[in-house]
Amino acid sequence: MTRYLARRFAASVVTAVLASIVVFLIVRAVPGDVVAQMLGQTSDPAASRSLRAFFGLDQPVWVQYGSWIGAALQGDFGTSWASGRPVAMMVTDAFMVTLEIALLTLALASVVGVPLGLLSGVYEDCWPDTLIQTFNLLGLAAPVFWTGLMLLVLASSMLGWSPPLVYAAPGESLADNLSILVLPILALGLLQAAAYSQFVRQNVVSALHQDYVRTAIAKGVPARLVFFKHILRNIAIPLVTFMGLMLTQILGGVVIVESLFAIPGLGRLLLTAIQTRDYPVLQGALLVVVVAAMLVNLGVDLLYRVIDPRVRLA
Amino acid sequence: MNATRRWVLTAAGLAALTGLPARPAAAQELYGPKAAGASKGGTLTFGSLVEPPALDPYHQGADARIRFTVLIYQGLFYEAASGEAMPLLAQGYTVSPDGLVYTVTLRSGVKFHTGQAMTAKDVAYSYNYLRDPKNGSPGAGDLTLVTAIDAVDDTTVRFTLSKPNAALPMTLGNKYGGVVPAGYFDAPDAKQALNQKSVGTGPFKLAEFKPNSHLALVRNEHYWEQDAPYLDRINILFVPNSASLIVALRNKRVDLALLTRPQDIQQVEKAPGLALERWPSLNQKALDLGSELAPLGDVRVRQAVALSLDREEIMRAAVGGYGKVLGTMVPAMQERWGAPLDSLPNQKPDIEKAKALLAAAGHGNGLSLTLTTINGYDWMDPAAVTMKQQLARAGIDLAIRRIDLGVWIKNFQSKQMGLTFNDWATQPDPHLLFYRHFHKTPEGADFRNWANAEASALLDRGLSETDAAKRKEDYVQFQKVLAETVPTVMLFSADHVSVRSEAVQNYQQHPTGWFYGLARAYLKK
Repeated sequence: MTRYLARRFAASVVTAVLASIVVFLIVRAVPGDVVAQMLGQTSDPAASRSLRAFFGLDQPVWVQYGSWIGAALQGDFGTSWASGRPVAMMVTDAFMVTLEIALLTLALASVVGVPLGLLSGVYEDCWPDTLIQTFNLLGLAAPVFWTGLMLLVLASSMLGWSPPLVYAAPGESLADNLSILVLPILALGLLQAAAYSQFVRQNVVSALHQDYVRTAIAKGVPARLVFFKHILRNIAIPLVTFMGLMLTQILGGVVIVESLFAIPGLGRLLLTAIQTRDYPVLQGALLVVVVAAMLVNLGVDLLYRVIDPRVRLA
Repeated sequence: MNATRRWVLTAAGLAALTGLPARPAAAQELYGPKAAGASKGGTLTFGSLVEPPALDPYHQGADARIRFTVLIYQGLFYEAASGEAMPLLAQGYTVSPDGLVYTVTLRSGVKFHTGQAMTAKDVAYSYNYLRDPKNGSPGAGDLTLVTAIDAVDDTTVRFTLSKPNAALPMTLGNKYGGVVPAGYFDAPDAKQALNQKSVGTGPFKLAEFKPNSHLALVRNEHYWEQDAPYLDRINILFVPNSASLIVALRNKRVDLALLTRPQDIQQVEKAPGLALERWPSLNQKALDLGSELAPLGDVRVRQAVALSLDREEIMRAAVGGYGKVLGTMVPAMQERWGAPLDSLPNQKPDIEKAKALLAAAGHGNGLSLTLTTINGYDWMDPAAVTMKQQLARAGIDLAIRRIDLGVWIKNFQSKQMGLTFNDWATQPDPHLLFYRHFHKTPEGADFRNWANAEASALLDRGLSETDAAKRKEDYVQFQKVLAETVPTVMLFSADHVSVRSEAVQNYQQHPTGWFYGLARAYLKK
């Protein structure tokens, strides 16, 4: 186990460094830089040169990368070119907000999606299945920006209510925090719940047609035991894999809901950094997304062993 | 309320209801007119679709920053809506006969947000810091003609120039910099500290700035103007999309906001409890004709393009009528600096004349041109389609290509833009509006490769002329050359459209788009 973890850690470091190079090059491939953004279209060439030197953009790319990664490995991600704030602080603050959204979305999707999927699978081709499949189709077909907008408009027109526009952390006011997050989590959660439900249904239907289930039923094992011991256990591993994938997807894809509901998370930070070509923030935030994805994958792998002790991590 | 102001409000009400032209520019008063019976106190919530990346007025050049920091920091002069520099922290100034020395007398009784009194040393330090290229301010380029800034005594500052610059007072305004205590930037964390604590002299001081969330300003208790500002606090909420902003306006979570897209404006136009007002702007949506592109190098082709365009139709398609068709001057400055519209050639559509010009230029069988538009500028797509139809009547086949802003800026700066839409704004001074864009190189940038010696000479005269009437005449002549030889067609100017709850009173939108009006707004109790 220790060797496995050490190997995974080493591989993760290599992946992170490679990802950092890709991220570094990609953000610089976007047309226009921070100087063009700051000075606008009619900038004076001398002022542009002076500012470019000020930000180190006159250096070769590999020199810029060397300076950045050298400092980053020592925990210094620099300061934002736009705001002058420490990147580590900005990214950490934003990441905590996004993590809260991701975890609450995951919880909502699991609580709604998994039971629906089980029900749908067990009642394959019966009316509950048809009803749930319809929900799944609608959930999967509706883009998150549309669901978010509809929730916003419905809440406004039917209840005369809209979420506050200033984010409050759970520690500041849990009530405010939840009232800000309720619509975005519903928008994301309904989509995810549909995906979970569809995934679980397919696995349940597939398991119901397996020999071991048929044998168990033929041997007279009670339906409850067949369901919990044979079906649920066997779909646990693919479900955990799927949840890991979905969590990674939420972490990297909350840009739309964060923008729609004015939530200061990682997605909105990334969007603003792209707009202002704030390379230090962009690099720091993207690196956090990459590392978070790697950690989720590692967590999923470790969970396999918890779920099924026969799994050997080597 | 005086008679003029009452007329303005009545006109605005009618304009909102009937689609009449926008109300005239704000009156010639600092930050707009004071209100005699204004109630004091209260918190106004402002919804903003744009967000300042930082609040440092020296090193952050984004317009989104300027909009808000004009309430916190003050320069020596105020950019009056009509195009004049009014004394702000200055009391007045004199100019030497050769136009090379400006002696500025400072207003007395001004204190920084820290409570410290402002002196000439602070002013000299601030502007010297701003103009030093080593300090990395995007505002340094505006002060390259300044060779020295000295504090003569506690209340007098002297600016020495290398050559006359009649636009100097306007460049000592509020776009970049602002007066801060002498030596402020000596502290290593000074730039970042401006996001936590303000050190200006403006009517509001910084209470809190949380990027991607909100900015809170509170009344400056040391402020030098009598009985102003009226509000105790302004909470500025950054709302990244207009759908959420409209919902927030309707649900009274936001008291005041500026909207830009016609489809958004239409959604709140008749909403109960909300008042919609239109204001002239210094923005212009233009069609640039770069002479480096072969057929556009021929002035007859450029004139033919201008004569094929119906600007009113383009404006209606592009911004739903929430704008004003232009001649050669943005609406807010038309009265003070604009050439009379009926004196300008090539302003009205004349298809027969356009065809004749094309034939004379050797394009009698038609001509193909490609128009560049920029991704993310909503008005450009409908404008381009409308223009394609209009140009077809004169035998010009227009292809349309869209590019990203970064690519467009690169092309523009390298003067390889050909035929393109442009969207730009200015400070209200004709030198700042025209010189860099249209003066021949190397003094100007001449982005459109116009290389017009007559126009450049007029721009030089306008820069050095300190007599206001003569200066205007120079710029009127320049505009006639501009209209005659068509390096650009100023199509229209989009209005600023403010939406406010009925509780918000006395708010006037400055044509720059900066939120000076919040220094005069109050909440009805």
